[in-house]
Amino acid sequence: MSFLHRHRWLTPYLLLAPGIAFLLVFFVVPLGFLGHTSLREGTVQTGYVFNWAWDNYSKAFSEYQEQFLRSLQYAGISTVLALLISYPLTYWIAFRGGRWKNLLLLCIIAPFFVTYLIRTLAWQNILSDDGFVVSVLQTLGLVPDDGRILATSTAVIAGITYNFLPFMALPLYVSLEQIDKSLIEAAKDLYASSTKTFLRVTLPLSAPGVIAGTLLTFIPAAGDFINAELLGTPNQSMIGNVIQSKFLVLTDYGQAAALSVILMAVILVLIVVYTRVLGTERMAG
Amino acid sequence: MTAAAEPQALPRRRVSPLTRAWAFVRRHTLTVFGVLALVYLMLPIAVVIAFSFNDPAGTFNYTWEGFTTKHWTNPFGPIGLGDAVEASIKVALLATIVSVILGTLIALALVRYHFRGRGATNLLIFIPLTAPEIVLGASLLTLFLYLGTALGFWTIVIAHIMFCISFVVVTVRARLVGFDRHVEEAAMDLGANEFVTFFRITLPLIAPGILAGGLLAFSLSIDDFVITNFNAGTTITFPLYVWGAAKLGVPPEVNVIGTMIFGIAILLMLANTLLQWRRNPKGAA
Amino acid sequence: MKDPFERMNHPMTRQQLLRRAAAGGFTLSLPGLLAACGGGGAIGGQQANTGATTVEQVLADEITVSNWCCYMDKKSGRYPTIDQFTEQTGVKVKYLEDIDSNEQLFGKIQAPLSRGQSIDRDIIVPTAWLAARLKRLGYVQKLDQSAIPNKVNLEDSLAHPAWDPNREYGLPWQTYITGVGYDPDKVGGEITSVEQLLDPALKGKVTLLNSMEDTAGLFLLEMGVDPTGEIDPAAFDEVCAKLKQAFDDGQIRQFTGNAYTGPLAKGDSWAAIAWSGDINYLKPDNPNLTFAIPDAGGMTSVDTMVIPTGGDVYTASTYMNYYYDPKVMAQVEAGIFYISPVKGTREEVAKIDPELAENPLVFPPPEVRDNLYEFSAEAIEDPDFQEKWQAVILG
Repeated sequence: MSFLHRHRWLTPYLLLAPGIAFLLVFFVVPLGFLGHTSLREGTVQTGYVFNWAWDNYSKAFSEYQEQFLRSLQYAGISTVLALLISYPLTYWIAFRGGRWKNLLLLCIIAPFFVTYLIRTLAWQNILSDDGFVVSVLQTLGLVPDDGRILATSTAVIAGITYNFLPFMALPLYVSLEQIDKSLIEAAKDLYASSTKTFLRVTLPLSAPGVIAGTLLTFIPAAGDFINAELLGTPNQSMIGNVIQSKFLVLTDYGQAAALSVILMAVILVLIVVYTRVLGTERMAG
Repeated sequence: MTAAAEPQALPRRRVSPLTRAWAFVRRHTLTVFGVLALVYLMLPIAVVIAFSFNDPAGTFNYTWEGFTTKHWTNPFGPIGLGDAVEASIKVALLATIVSVILGTLIALALVRYHFRGRGATNLLIFIPLTAPEIVLGASLLTLFLYLGTALGFWTIVIAHIMFCISFVVVTVRARLVGFDRHVEEAAMDLGANEFVTFFRITLPLIAPGILAGGLLAFSLSIDDFVITNFNAGTTITFPLYVWGAAKLGVPPEVNVIGTMIFGIAILLMLANTLLQWRRNPKGAA
Repeated sequence: MKDPFERMNHPMTRQQLLRRAAAGGFTLSLPGLLAACGGGGAIGGQQANTGATTVEQVLADEITVSNWCCYMDKKSGRYPTIDQFTEQTGVKVKYLEDIDSNEQLFGKIQAPLSRGQSIDRDIIVPTAWLAARLKRLGYVQKLDQSAIPNKVNLEDSLAHPAWDPNREYGLPWQTYITGVGYDPDKVGGEITSVEQLLDPALKGKVTLLNSMEDTAGLFLLEMGVDPTGEIDPAAFDEVCAKLKQAFDDGQIRQFTGNAYTGPLAKGDSWAAIAWSGDINYLKPDNPNLTFAIPDAGGMTSVDTMVIPTGGDVYTASTYMNYYYDPKVMAQVEAGIFYISPVKGTREEVAKIDPELAENPLVFPPPEVRDNLYEFSAEAIEDPDFQEKWQAVILG
């Protein structure tokens, strides 16, 4: 006991040890293996050989550029849509929610508790060619009579937006909720209209939430493949689909690993941007 | 206007009905939007629940054909579903327990101590939260492939612990940050040593945070598909079962299980909120 | 209740607490680490399997069978023939329909099998070319012939395939025909050629199988090219280009594995390259569906039951033997509508369902058989062909 009293500095490290060790072994080290694998070449039949196979990377850029760009595109559009839907929604709850705030917040989180796949399959049902939604849209003329929503990029983007909405809504809510209401009152006292108050006071103050939500939505969305698989066709395949198929079906581990490394690199860049903007202490809650 | 000695009522502006109507719309637009957004969020859930009562003639549960409760009375009818659910629950329990322990320790270290490597630790916790699941799953797979580990139950547990730790840290940390250390000091002044203080004062007070972290970890684990898909080998968990069934026709029993998981999660969340509200009626977040 | 302050007299020191916490953390991670130490070595490579069947002829309590969808007679969510098997032998069967395509199956099982690890399956049912590959790689075990007296019932035409001349490593489960499944009402007529699938009138309503041997095979036949022997790479290129174009144009909704059944049943697709028996499985969802072998010819192959490394040879062999009884196989056929490998099935089927016994898709007469072709296994294993095909189906 006195050992620890004398060596108080040891305490945090001891507390950290088991968890950090676990993360190091099963999170950091695998990333290293991923990199190592990305430079291997071979097939199941011939065995895999580590031979600095940089052409895994050049192939990744030349052949799969389309899927990379598409992933970024879909993730980007979904993020914007999620922002457009979430901002008014969370604003409403934060400012007009009153006693019902927590309940309404629960309504946003609730869909999260149904298994991701089941939620997406429900959309498959809702958006089916003979379904209610498509019929209404056809009547409204938004969809041609022989058109469909499923198996198009619209469906995939709609799915991604839906599935990642909580990631956008929650940080937005937290940041909106924390805005000091007296600041808004002050603006009103100074004869600012609601619009002006919003644009000059609320919006800037909620910026951290917007940034956090955007990144937290965009990043996982870019790596998603489930929506593309269930709601789209290979024409909508994202980089996630390619990685998944290369790893699990084609067992082209080298190429698959290279693609994953590139994806991770892009994400890391975004994370660095995020931490620069918000600082490392604000990370992780 | 002549300057008057007594205060004069300001003349009322003549308000046209159009302006009044517009004001009405403006005031309520937000609410309407909010409600519509919530409907949008809940729609797939409603579909899932509704179709758990459907009685499809064939193998596909897409069109409504008749009401029945037989799926609810025998939810584990389809072969393999029961085993999959069982596997999922076992994995989730193990992963939750371990990640809660490891994560709480890390959170304690982060909040209470200053140490070198703090920034790095924060980063290490943060990246798994935002990194695309596909990269996490794929890199872990390369580790296991390299080591020659048999993919199965234990690799799934390891993978789940890995990504749950970060979530637990974030949740517990939030609770710890708002923790009043004076209570601990008081206990120690009264003669309790650190260990007793921790277990009788600190732990009970941060228990809600730990509980919340555990709940989060559990639901994430039950729901996880991508990382599990990469590391499961031929073992089947509930989300993997759904994925396999998605191509061939998802039986309504899956909707039943999905609804059950959803229901239990909601109940637990409500219970947790209620508990927190009882402890702090001022409506702590 | 114990004196709450008693603990203070014998407190665990903080040091001990932290040590235990650390130990706890590690202990829980230990099994995983131990498991990790169990293997070792690089990825890939091959391990020869001596196929040692230490024939202790004891039935296991349970076996696990992986099969394709819609390949077992089913009634209200249960499989009658399997239940009968369990009744007769006491062996429980975990029957999983988790094979969606040969490539996907191989991708899943390759890594563990290459290290001699079990995949928790006693029987898997790959198509003949994949079975041949698995045998070549040493991933499957020899059957226990003494447990399969019914093997004599195996149809002569299937008894001596090139990859397994004495049927030591696998027994056929079903022979299937690949053709076109479609809804005549939606399509507006009969389909006699796969070219019709590329008709713009069907834009977005067509799915093709992602297996080279099925889809490329049918289109090669349409072009007049024989896919059973050596395939001219130029012809293959032409087919690939045509299909890629059709896909990019939006003509083809998707390339699928067994999952084509969903859209067909739902009505999201009107015509698909399909397997003969599935259409029957889908009838309750869509009674209009019908199946046609294209005039130019249909594809066929044999899905074969094999026992992977780690499977229980004796029990698996007993299971196979059970199904090689014409009476049992007749029951299965009545449910799945594929082509039985067991002699005498037709007579038994006539007793259950006389109409089925005359169905040319299930009991093909010689003129139908003559128009069925099996895709060359060499072409499937050719890396060039594989790469070109991947480019087509991955979009």
